[in-house]
Amino acid sequence: MSFLDILRQLAHGVGYTLLVTLACSVTGLLSGLLIAGGRQLGGAASTLLLDVYTYVFRGVPVLVLLFVVYFGLPGLGLTAAPLLAMMLSLGLIAGAYLAEVFRGALASVDAGEILAARASGMTRGQIFRFIELPQMLRFAVPGMVNEFTTVLKYSPFAYTVGLPEVTKEAMSLVATTHRGIEIYLAVGLVYFAIFRLLMVFIRWLERRYEIPGMRPA
Amino acid sequence: MNASPLIEIRQLVTRFGEHTVLNGVDLDLYAGEIKVVMGPSGCGKSTLLRCLNRLVEPSSGLIRFRGQDITAPGTDVRALRQSIGFVFQQFALYRHLTVLDNVSLGLRKLRGLRRAEAEQKALQELDRLEMAGHRDKYPAQLSGGQKQRVAIARALAMDPAVVVFDEPTSALDPVMSREVAALINRLHDEGVTMLCVTHDLVLAQNIADEVIFLDQGRVLAQDSIARLAKDHADPRVRAFFGRDGDKA
Repeated sequence: MSFLDILRQLAHGVGYTLLVTLACSVTGLLSGLLIAGGRQLGGAASTLLLDVYTYVFRGVPVLVLLFVVYFGLPGLGLTAAPLLAMMLSLGLIAGAYLAEVFRGALASVDAGEILAARASGMTRGQIFRFIELPQMLRFAVPGMVNEFTTVLKYSPFAYTVGLPEVTKEAMSLVATTHRGIEIYLAVGLVYFAIFRLLMVFIRWLERRYEIPGMRPA
Repeated sequence: MNASPLIEIRQLVTRFGEHTVLNGVDLDLYAGEIKVVMGPSGCGKSTLLRCLNRLVEPSSGLIRFRGQDITAPGTDVRALRQSIGFVFQQFALYRHLTVLDNVSLGLRKLRGLRRAEAEQKALQELDRLEMAGHRDKYPAQLSGGQKQRVAIARALAMDPAVVVFDEPTSALDPVMSREVAALINRLHDEGVTMLCVTHDLVLAQNIADEVIFLDQGRVLAQDSIARLAKDHADPRVRAFFGRDGDKA
């Protein structure tokens, strides 16, 4: 079995790795945005609730939360499919981290612009949607890239709930061929290739939405 | 000139905790008129402007806008704000939007105009201020004077009853300050009602015959700058206007 054959075999798992990474990143992005929006627009009580939520979810290990969702919830009569369990653990934890990234990015929005929007007669919701959100997303790019990369690197946990992603394929291969070094080296290359692809996509997105004078700090 | 003022302020008091910022201000502004309020830093000039559209809540007193008491409960604050155009000291353009979007955003989102209509109206205002050629630029690509013009176009696009300027020249060099004065005079000739807060004596002299002098939250004097500089009884007034007043 050549190195190319190993890569070819691992490729079977790439689809699942991409699927898990994408599903968890989208879950994280959406929940992070909801938390950021809720903090901006909600009252003191909801802000406190969201703060507690992010505090807890940032503190729980991904694997522990994944096991709680996948192996624990059925005890309460709730079953989650493997991908859903990944979204509810890795995805929500990423969301809690992204909410913190967004909090910092929102603080970078110029107070003068927000005052100008208020003075023009916009509601709190309109100010968030038309002024704060578009600026926040641009300021948050470096933090978001970090978080999506983290999600990619945590995606191997999916094998523990039975998703045959890249790492799982590798383990099966090692079990039958005993060529651990080459195989895990190949796994590393596969993850690096996915990471590069992600970066190329983000750079394209950045350039597409680039605004003169507005670079993330 | 109409019989009743567009804006009528009586005994306006604003306190921030223990600190009294405005201490019984009276002011009338008639449609088509331009008034200049001057005074040292911290005299309450900006707070006065912000009371007009309830960005700051007055503690007591009366503000009538088109005859309606806008400090009364139940006032439609958002409607009020839409009829008062605000031009800020640092211009406060939305930096993620082009010049055209800065001017048309309010028309689209607050007036509910369709994009094409809003942009047409926005372009008219930009053209009026000789900024139509910069429609696709972002704020970071503009000079201070250009940003100022866009900020004014943004305010005018909403067809406000009055445009208020908060220190319009403090972020500009002297040449641009004179251009702003010329611009304000032109708008005045076109019938725009304006209230301008500044400590720029050159600007004040160029745009108004009389100024209102605000000190420690009160209107201390109202007269021409030349008379305030030479003849006013209060030495603080003479000192404030004296710097450039003698040259006038």
